[in-house]
Amino acid sequence: MLNQTLKTVTIKVFGQLADITGRAEWQLQADDTDDLQTQMQTLYPALRTKNYLIAVNKTLISENTILNDEDTVALLPPFAGG
Amino acid sequence: MKDKRKNIFQTGAIPADFIATSIQKHATNKTIGAHSLFLGQVRADAIADKTVEGIEYTAYEEMVMEQMHQLREGIFEKYPDLTCMHVHHSLGMVKAGEICLFVFTSSKHRKVAIDACEETVERIKAELPIWGKEWFEDDTHQWKINN
Repeated sequence: MLNQTLKTVTIKVFGQLADITGRAEWQLQADDTDDLQTQMQTLYPALRTKNYLIAVNKTLISENTILNDEDTVALLPPFAGG
Repeated sequence: MKDKRKNIFQTGAIPADFIATSIQKHATNKTIGAHSLFLGQVRADAIADKTVEGIEYTAYEEMVMEQMHQLREGIFEKYPDLTCMHVHHSLGMVKAGEICLFVFTSSKHRKVAIDACEETVERIKAELPIWGKEWFEDDTHQWKINN
């Protein structure tokens, strides 16, 4: 039952990454963050050459993370505040 | 005096009279002997043959609130003699020459105020999910990179 593992998450994209995707927020289905990244890079190949961090529910992650329904995953290009 | 989750953002530039008022408000706290202020100002950088007219700031605001809260807790833990800390950052368009970041720390003595202010500025630049789009006079843009 493949659908049991696919979770609907909100994706948020910021800064120059949103220039690539052309949209800032939408929903998609993914098992985990690796799966989500693969889908994103297939949809937007230009993302492959970009540096970015990933946050799940506003917390930065450093390794593949299992996703749950209603999680929010954000792609964050290098910070440039100040 | 640790502030709870404050919104650090305000739309557009941070006006000089806002900064003056902020200083004035501290006059009632007579245990303070030192203030340290950092003001970030938008530069009219020349890149190739174009000049930056202004920076348009965007942020992952909900995440900034959380990160800033942790940052603040960390600073107060490291500098227990810090009396108070205030951080204000612009969102939206800020023209060259205008102020986009205001960090204000106060303490009994100067060392704590100065060190806490510097460390807060460095951490804001490194840790908060904020981005700046540098607009040129010909309506083209590039994304700001922090050094």
